[in-house]
Amino acid sequence: MNFDFSPEEQKFAEEVDQWLTENHDPVVMDHHRENFTQLADTPERRAFMKKLAAQGWLGMSWPKEYGGQEIEGVYEYILNEALSKHAAPQIGKGVGIIGKTLIRHGSDKLKDEFLPKVLHADIEFAVGYSEPEAGSDAANMQLKAEKVDGGWNLNGQKMWTTSAHFADWYWVGARTDPDKSKHAGLSLFLIPMDHPGLEVQSLPTIGKDTTNQVFFEDVFVPDDYLVGERGKGFQYISEALDLERFTMFTLSPIANRTDVLVDWVKAAQRDDAPLKNDPNVRRTIAQIVTDTAVAKGLSTRFVCAAKDGGGKPPTIPSSQYKLFTTSLSQRVCKDALDITGHEGTIMEGQDEAPLRGRFEGAYRATMNETVGGGSSEIQKNIIARRHLGLPKNF
Amino acid sequence: MDLDLSEEQQMIIDTTRAVLGEHSTSEVVRLMEDDPKGVAEELWKQLSEVGFNGLLIPESYGGGGMTLLEAAFFYEELGRFMAPVPHFVSCVMSAGVLLEAGSKAQKETWLPKIADGSAILTTAWYEPGRGQGEAGVALEAVSSGDGFVLSGVKRSVPYAAVADQLVVLARTADGVDLFLVDPTSEGLTLTFHQSQGREPHYRIDFDGVQVPAENRIGAAGSGWATWNTVMHDGIILQAASAVGGADRCLMETVEYANQRVQFDKPLGAFQALAHYMADASTKIDGGRVLVHEAAWNRVQGRSVARFAPMAKLFCAETYRETTRVCAQIWGGVAFTIEYDVQMFFRRAKHLQLSWWDTPYLEELVAADVLDR
Repeated sequence: MNFDFSPEEQKFAEEVDQWLTENHDPVVMDHHRENFTQLADTPERRAFMKKLAAQGWLGMSWPKEYGGQEIEGVYEYILNEALSKHAAPQIGKGVGIIGKTLIRHGSDKLKDEFLPKVLHADIEFAVGYSEPEAGSDAANMQLKAEKVDGGWNLNGQKMWTTSAHFADWYWVGARTDPDKSKHAGLSLFLIPMDHPGLEVQSLPTIGKDTTNQVFFEDVFVPDDYLVGERGKGFQYISEALDLERFTMFTLSPIANRTDVLVDWVKAAQRDDAPLKNDPNVRRTIAQIVTDTAVAKGLSTRFVCAAKDGGGKPPTIPSSQYKLFTTSLSQRVCKDALDITGHEGTIMEGQDEAPLRGRFEGAYRATMNETVGGGSSEIQKNIIARRHLGLPKNF
Repeated sequence: MDLDLSEEQQMIIDTTRAVLGEHSTSEVVRLMEDDPKGVAEELWKQLSEVGFNGLLIPESYGGGGMTLLEAAFFYEELGRFMAPVPHFVSCVMSAGVLLEAGSKAQKETWLPKIADGSAILTTAWYEPGRGQGEAGVALEAVSSGDGFVLSGVKRSVPYAAVADQLVVLARTADGVDLFLVDPTSEGLTLTFHQSQGREPHYRIDFDGVQVPAENRIGAAGSGWATWNTVMHDGIILQAASAVGGADRCLMETVEYANQRVQFDKPLGAFQALAHYMADASTKIDGGRVLVHEAAWNRVQGRSVARFAPMAKLFCAETYRETTRVCAQIWGGVAFTIEYDVQMFFRRAKHLQLSWWDTPYLEELVAADVLDR
C-alpha cells in the first residue's frame, strides 16, 4: 500500500506544474469559469493547446505507431489534475473518447485523417449522444440515419452538445438499424461541424457557458465516415467511457474551491472579529475538509483500479467517485455561501462580493454536475446492480 | 499509488476472520451483552494465541511489532464481528500509553502480559459532567509522602471488573498525569453501569486511593500529551472498526433485500431502497481508504493531526447513518431484539460518541486547518 505517486510520476507532476506556472496566462486560465475551464473554446485557449501538444503531452498513452508514447494512463490523469488545478483547458474528447475509439476500431483512412490532428491540437470535437428522448436512457437515441447511395442521410436532433458552437468536427451517435434492439441499432459518425443541414442553437444556462441543441436536416455522411462497424455504436460509446476513466472527472477544481474557501475564512472578519472563530464556521470547514479528503481517497481508489485492472475497467470505483464528488462539489458551494452570509448574494464579478463572487458563480455552475456525465441516480443504479448484486430496478 | 494488500496484510484479515467467524458469532455477542464482565473468554484466548493481543507491542516485549496499518486491517474485522473483548483499552490504549511514556520497569511488567493476554489493563478517563478534552480531567491526585492520593469519580470505564490495572488520568499540581492504579486498592469502588453498545462499563469512585510515586507514567505533567498522542492512533482504529461494522451491516441488509419480497419483487429491486444501499457502500469504501491513508501516513512518520480525526469523524458518521438506513430497509423487524440490525445500530452511535465525539473531532480538524 502506498499513497504517494512513484518518483517518476511525482517528477512529471512537478514538471507540469512548473510549466503551467511559467506559462500562466489569465486569459486562458480563469477559475471563475469553473467546469468550463476544461474547454479549448477560444483562439487563446486553442493556442494554449498547441503549446501543450508541443510539449508532447497529447496522446501520451496512445500506441507508438500512432504517435503516442505508450505510457500509463495515470500520466494523463496527473496532467489533467494539474491543468484543472491551474484552470487551464484539459486534454479531453480528442485524445480520449475519439482518439482511443479510432485507434481500436477506426479505418486507416479515419486514423490517418484525425489522429495527427489530435496530437497537434489542430482539431476540436463536439460529442453528440444526448437527445430529447435520450437523456439518462442514453441508448434511446432517435437521430435517424437512412442508408442512401454512397453514405447516410441524417435527420433529427441532438441535445446538450457542449462544444457544438466552436468545434470543428461532430462525433455523433445515430440509429442506423431501427429494426434491431435499442442497443444494437446505433452507429457512430464523424461530421464536419459546418456541414450544410446542421443547425446549432445555443441553450444559455445559469452556469458559466452555453450548451447547445443541434438540428439535422438531410445531413449526408459518406460511408467512410461511419466509425468502425455498423450497429456497434453503443458498444464503442460504453467502451470509450471505460477507457476514459483517467481523464473524466478531475478532483482539483473541488479541492481548489475548498482551499480558496479555507484561505478566505482564515483572513475574513465579521463584526470586527475573526470569522474563523465562529464555532459554526469551524464545524462546517471541518466537514468540508474531511469530505474532500474522502473524495481524494475515492479518486485514489479508481486510479489504482484503472492502473492494475488487468484490462478490467474500474466502473464501480469510478461511479462511487462521481457520485460522492459531484454532490460534495455542490455542498462546498452551498456551505461557502452560508459562511459568506448575505454578502454571498452579490453576483459574481463585482468587487463588493466575497472572493469576487466565486461561490455565487460556482453555486450556479455546479448545479448540473450531479446530472451531466451520468446522473447520480444512474451511478447509484450501477453501484446497486454491479457492486452490491441487487436486482435490476428499472 | 497502490492500494494492494501485502501477503502479510491479507493473512491478518483471513486469520482474523477465521477466528472471529468461529468465536464471535451473533450468539456469543448476544451472550456477552448482559454479562457484567463482558469478555468472550474463548475468543480472547484465541486472539492471544494467534498473537493479535501483542499486535502493536514490539517483539522485545513479547509482541508482534506490527504497524498501525496492520492494526487497521485487524480492527475492521473486530468491528465487523462486534468482538466482545477488551482489546482496545488493553492492547491499544494502555499498551500505547506505556510504550509512549512508561518507565522501563512499567513496560517490562505489563507489556508482555498484555501481549500474551495474561493481563488486562483498562483506561479510566471520562468523568461525570466533564468533556473529552484536557480540561475534562478533574479527578484529583494530591502529592503525599512518596506517592499520590487520588480522589474523585470516573465513569464509563470499560471492562473494569476484569482489569488487572487501571490507567487513570488525574489532575496533579503539574497538570494532567497518568497513573497505574491497582483496582483492588483501598478506597476504590466499582459500580457496574450498562452502555448503549453493551460494552460493560463501570463507575469508579476514588476515595483517597493511595498510589505509589513510581506508578506515575512519564514525566510530571506530561499525561495529556501522552494521552493525546496515543488517542490519535486509537481513533484511527476506532474508525477502522466503524468501517467493518458498517460494511457487515450493509452486506447483511443487501442479502435480505435480495430475498424479502413485497409487491411481487425483492426489496432490492426498489430504487428507493437500492439507492440507500449504493450511497452507504460509497461512503464505506471512501471511509476505508481514508482510514488506510491515515494509518499509512502514521507509519511513514508523518503527522496525523488532521487525518486521524477526519477518519474517525467520517467513518463513525458513516457507520451510524448506514445502520439507520439498514434498519429502514429491514423494516419493523429491525426494531426487535431478535434481529441483529439493532446490535449494529446501537454500537454505531456508541462508537460515534466514544473516544472523542463529533464536536471534539471537528474542532481538531478545524484547528489544524484554520489555526496553524
